[in-house]
Amino acid sequence: MTLQRAERRLGWGLAAPALLWTLAFFVLPFLAMVVLSFAHMEGRQVVQGLDPGNYIRAFTDWSQLNALINSVEITLTVTVISVVLAWPLAAIIAWRVPPRFQRLALLLAVLPFWTSYVVRSYSWLLVLGKNGVINQALMGLGVIAEPLALASTRSATVIGFVHFFVMLLTLTIYANLIQLSPNYARAAQDLGAGRWATFRHVILPLTLPGVVTGAFLTFVLCIGDYITPQILGGNNELTLPQLIMLQMGRSGNFPMASALSVVLMAVVTLAYAGCSRWLRLDRI
Amino acid sequence: MRVLSWLYLALAYAFVFLPIAVLVAFSFQDGRLPVPPFKGFSLQWYDKVLGDSALMTALWHSALVAFVSSALALVMGFLAAHALARVRLPGSVLMRGVLIAPMTVSYLIIALGLLTTFNQAGVSLSLWTAGIGHVVINLPLCFAICYAAMGDQQKNAERAARDLGASEARVLWLISAPMLAPALGAAFFLSVTFSWDEFIITFLLTRFDVTLPVEIWSMLRSGLSPATNAVGSLVFLVSITAVLLMEILLFLRPR
Amino acid sequence: MTHRALTALGLLALATPAFAQDELNALVWCDHTDPALIAPFEAKYGVKVNLKEYEGTAAGLAILDQSQPGDWDVLVIDAVDVPRAVAAGKLAEIPADQLPTADFFPELVMAANNVVDGKTYAVTEKFGYNTISYDKTKVDPADMEDMAALTSGKYDGKTGIYDYYLPLLGLVALGQGINTADITAENLGQLQDPLMALRKASTLVADVVSSQTALATGEVDIIVGGGEWLTAVLAAENPNLDWTIPKQGGLRWAQSIGVVAGTAKPDLALAFVQYIVSPEGQAALAQSSCYWGMPANTKAGDILSPEAKAVLRWDQQPEFLARAQLYPIPDAATDTAMQDLWTAMLNK
Repeated sequence: MTLQRAERRLGWGLAAPALLWTLAFFVLPFLAMVVLSFAHMEGRQVVQGLDPGNYIRAFTDWSQLNALINSVEITLTVTVISVVLAWPLAAIIAWRVPPRFQRLALLLAVLPFWTSYVVRSYSWLLVLGKNGVINQALMGLGVIAEPLALASTRSATVIGFVHFFVMLLTLTIYANLIQLSPNYARAAQDLGAGRWATFRHVILPLTLPGVVTGAFLTFVLCIGDYITPQILGGNNELTLPQLIMLQMGRSGNFPMASALSVVLMAVVTLAYAGCSRWLRLDRI
Repeated sequence: MRVLSWLYLALAYAFVFLPIAVLVAFSFQDGRLPVPPFKGFSLQWYDKVLGDSALMTALWHSALVAFVSSALALVMGFLAAHALARVRLPGSVLMRGVLIAPMTVSYLIIALGLLTTFNQAGVSLSLWTAGIGHVVINLPLCFAICYAAMGDQQKNAERAARDLGASEARVLWLISAPMLAPALGAAFFLSVTFSWDEFIITFLLTRFDVTLPVEIWSMLRSGLSPATNAVGSLVFLVSITAVLLMEILLFLRPR
Repeated sequence: MTHRALTALGLLALATPAFAQDELNALVWCDHTDPALIAPFEAKYGVKVNLKEYEGTAAGLAILDQSQPGDWDVLVIDAVDVPRAVAAGKLAEIPADQLPTADFFPELVMAANNVVDGKTYAVTEKFGYNTISYDKTKVDPADMEDMAALTSGKYDGKTGIYDYYLPLLGLVALGQGINTADITAENLGQLQDPLMALRKASTLVADVVSSQTALATGEVDIIVGGGEWLTAVLAAENPNLDWTIPKQGGLRWAQSIGVVAGTAKPDLALAFVQYIVSPEGQAALAQSSCYWGMPANTKAGDILSPEAKAVLRWDQQPEFLARAQLYPIPDAATDTAMQDLWTAMLNK
């Protein structure tokens, strides 16, 4: 009994630094932000209170609500495209590439991961611009006469995001695929399943944890990102993080920025609830 | 089917490497704009970048924040993982949830929350306030990796050492840490990577002492220039060298 | 272990700045971050100038609100917003007799803005115009003399908008025959449709540098809200870039510099302000790497090269000054309404 108590005290002692740090610098600031989100501005003064006005505005003022809608649309588009592109890539590396080259193939596929993330978006700007590499190449080949409007559009933002998240998803799906024993597929085929049925009913469900974990990470990182839409979107539409930065950086309206952040957090929580069944965050 | 696979692989690599290739190519541009046409080969931008003291200071700040915050996160994460994996504490599921939670929250929100708190507490912004934010984002990562790596084998070895009279500190230092070395190494390496590349927290929580991503951001904002390409290419070169070294040290070692 | 602990301690010690050297903290616009401007002052006084950029007056004042007294020494601010900063208690009085305003372009002394209740709080340092910048090989320069051409459909998809609500709303107001000084919360509604029409015709809304880039790389052929600050820095790269004040008029921007109230180094801060408005400082500031602009001090003309003066259109200033209006000066409620209109435009 006393031994158990001593153990517990020790356990608390060891966990304390991490817990206190998280409480002081994550939980508490978040609560402070929630409190601030119910304040409002009078001129330049923040007036504390219990005013739901910022939230009402976030969902009724079209210019604010639009940012939320844009963010969700872009994020869902990016997540779907990235999964669809990454799955075959992971599968080819896992099944077609000889085992001793697999690590190398994977390492190469994610190498641009290691460029600075600000620089990565900037590089896409150089690629997609009216005078960029793609347009110059296509015009040089005579495919198009007028340059395509690629940069400063939602497509540019989506391309920039997909580039990053295909790498991430390839990793998580590959990790899942190589753990699959080939016996599953063999057993299914022995039982008379065709190639498609085997894939659809055996392989795909088994890779679901990898797909969902990667997709969730994509969702969280994508919907909260400021840099990519800011550099590639040309301010043609605002995403939620851009609106938050505008409210804070230009208007100095911290209460509104806080409220929009809480909304962002709520969307992520919804996504988490939606895929928590398959999530293996502690196994990344 | 086989041909299609290789074609897909080739296209995927082309897509993945296209922006990097363009970035590096135009860092050698002999002109003021990093867009086609290519006007000739020049190393002037590398020369400019390497002589830029603001960039070099930012580089040093980046390394400092990355290593100090990762080390702190690793120690705290390791201790917490050890405690929660070994001792049955009341509410340990909740505690695990709290420790993992920052991983599911956008960095922007973490930064905004910290900014609000620091403002209200009258704390002036500096490299250290950004470092605090980096520990917040790296702690869950270190905790999760250490926690996942703790198996029965560890527990048995730890129990044996304890039965033989080793103090807890000695158990941690002589048994747990060495047995978990690969996981600790991976956690540290990942933390350093995330911290090294982190933008928004540093951007919002620093005043003058900025890190490399923030400095690159302000370079970007002060004009399109091959100098930005040169910095990007240099960072890429350093990063892949580090990755390849890690690969050789950690994974190609005979097991 | 001890070895590692010592290394960590060493790192900590290195990171803590040595306070032997005096430092000056300035909250500025991007043109002040050019080393060619700052380095001579640092060398002369043996100090380090720390610079932080901000966007828009509201954000700048918010940063000052959240800082501790003494955190900041110098502030660069829109000239028309000086009274706002003074009302908020953010600026300290500076001795008017120690400033070279006698050498300034008379229009740029701007006492109505820089002086409040007989006390001088700031001094104009740089100015220019927000009008229409364009590539003269790709658009018909004659069209650019009339704002109506921008929404005529001829230049749809080739136009960009400078991302700053005050000058752009001012330009749109001029297009509607409303003087910038007469914009109120009431008639702001009249600006909505023309603003949205302009937005519809344009492909991007961009900050200073993105605007320069977009014009230089041919991403767009016209930037509404542009001026010499946009084209001058690119003159060497692309001589086809030009700008004009259309018949409806244009806006004049002006930025002021002052000493932050509560500074612990008032003398050094004042010395910095004096350096910026001296002929040398003015010449460097006029050709700063982020954007160019006319110096407020005419004596800078003796230092600037003839080429630089040509790019800045030094000789045409009397005509330009006569035709351009100042930024709108909204009260807090109108300002919020203007920003909301702008955000709605961004998020069309």
